[in-house]
Amino acid sequence: MSGRPLRLAALAFLLLPLVAVAAPKKLVLLFTGDNGGEVAPCG
Amino acid sequence: MLVLDAGNALFKSRDSGMAPDARPRAELLLAQMDAQGTTAMAVGARDLVLGVDFLRKQTRKSKLKLLSANLVDGQGKLLFPASVVTEVGGLKVGVVGVSPATPEPLPMEPQATGKAAGSTMRGLPLQPAIAAEVKRLREQSKVDLVLLLAAAPYVDVVQVADSVEGVDFVVQSHEGRGSGIAQRQGLTTVVPPGDRGRQLARLELSVDGPGRFVDNSEPLRAKENLRIVEMSLSKARERLQSTTDAAGKRALTEAVASLEARRTALEKTAGQGATQAPRTHLLSYIQLGADVPADPVVQKSVERVEPPGSAAH
Repeated sequence: MSGRPLRLAALAFLLLPLVAVAAPKKLVLLFTGDNGGEVAPCG
Repeated sequence: MLVLDAGNALFKSRDSGMAPDARPRAELLLAQMDAQGTTAMAVGARDLVLGVDFLRKQTRKSKLKLLSANLVDGQGKLLFPASVVTEVGGLKVGVVGVSPATPEPLPMEPQATGKAAGSTMRGLPLQPAIAAEVKRLREQSKVDLVLLLAAAPYVDVVQVADSVEGVDFVVQSHEGRGSGIAQRQGLTTVVPPGDRGRQLARLELSVDGPGRFVDNSEPLRAKENLRIVEMSLSKARERLQSTTDAAGKRALTEAVASLEARRTALEKTAGQGATQAPRTHLLSYIQLGADVPADPVVQKSVERVEPPGSAAH
């Protein structure tokens, strides 16, 4: 059996983390402002 | 996830410090913001009602950082940290806070009637204070992203947005402008935070390289409009086939042509819009109405400040 498929598989395995790193970074910001002392929906 | 507050959170107005519930209300808000994992808040005019010492004491043991890059004491020393750096979602984020600029020094603590003012504080001009802090964050802290919490008048914040480089987003509070859309302004994007605790703004960011952030809501809106235009186009074509008089045919032919042109433009926006940009943002709001259940423990704390049936209810 040729070693080439195995070498390709090993290369693909090594490159896999690089592909994962290339995914866009996601960030969710939650923010408030101008609350003006409100502590309840009706207050 | 990063939780932030743009300021003016604690008091109803600048002269509400004498109200009997003002202090417990502000204490409760600071404690809850900390408990809910708020990373930072800018110090606004409506946060300084009980003075600087009150804010410092209340947040001494908190993870919540109160920020102001331009609020200084009589000797010109900053009263709060100018910024905080945090790592979230694999991104290094710098958060800068800013307070209103003041033409004259102001008392640092509330004045007792008939007593002379003690220590004073002053809000320095916004632009140089923010520019210096952003430069420091970009060059020394090597942040990926800079957010500005601007507890200052909108007109002043617009001037900053037009002239200061390196700020990705500005979240502004002061006048209670409420919710709205993320607006490209000068060199940055200004985002309204909502007001009076009625909503929670949610800004979703995707970072896949350098460059300016592009609003991802445009392609989404275009897709929605495309659906409506296609329905109208289908109806117009049906009517065109069944119409026999010349004037009606002419009007419908023009309508179909106009709709087809609109469809082409929308397809372009929907297809090659912000989804392909390396940096995108998408703003939405979570409305905090009566349908959002209250946490029973928090509810009890709230009722100690604002009992059910009180004037505020």
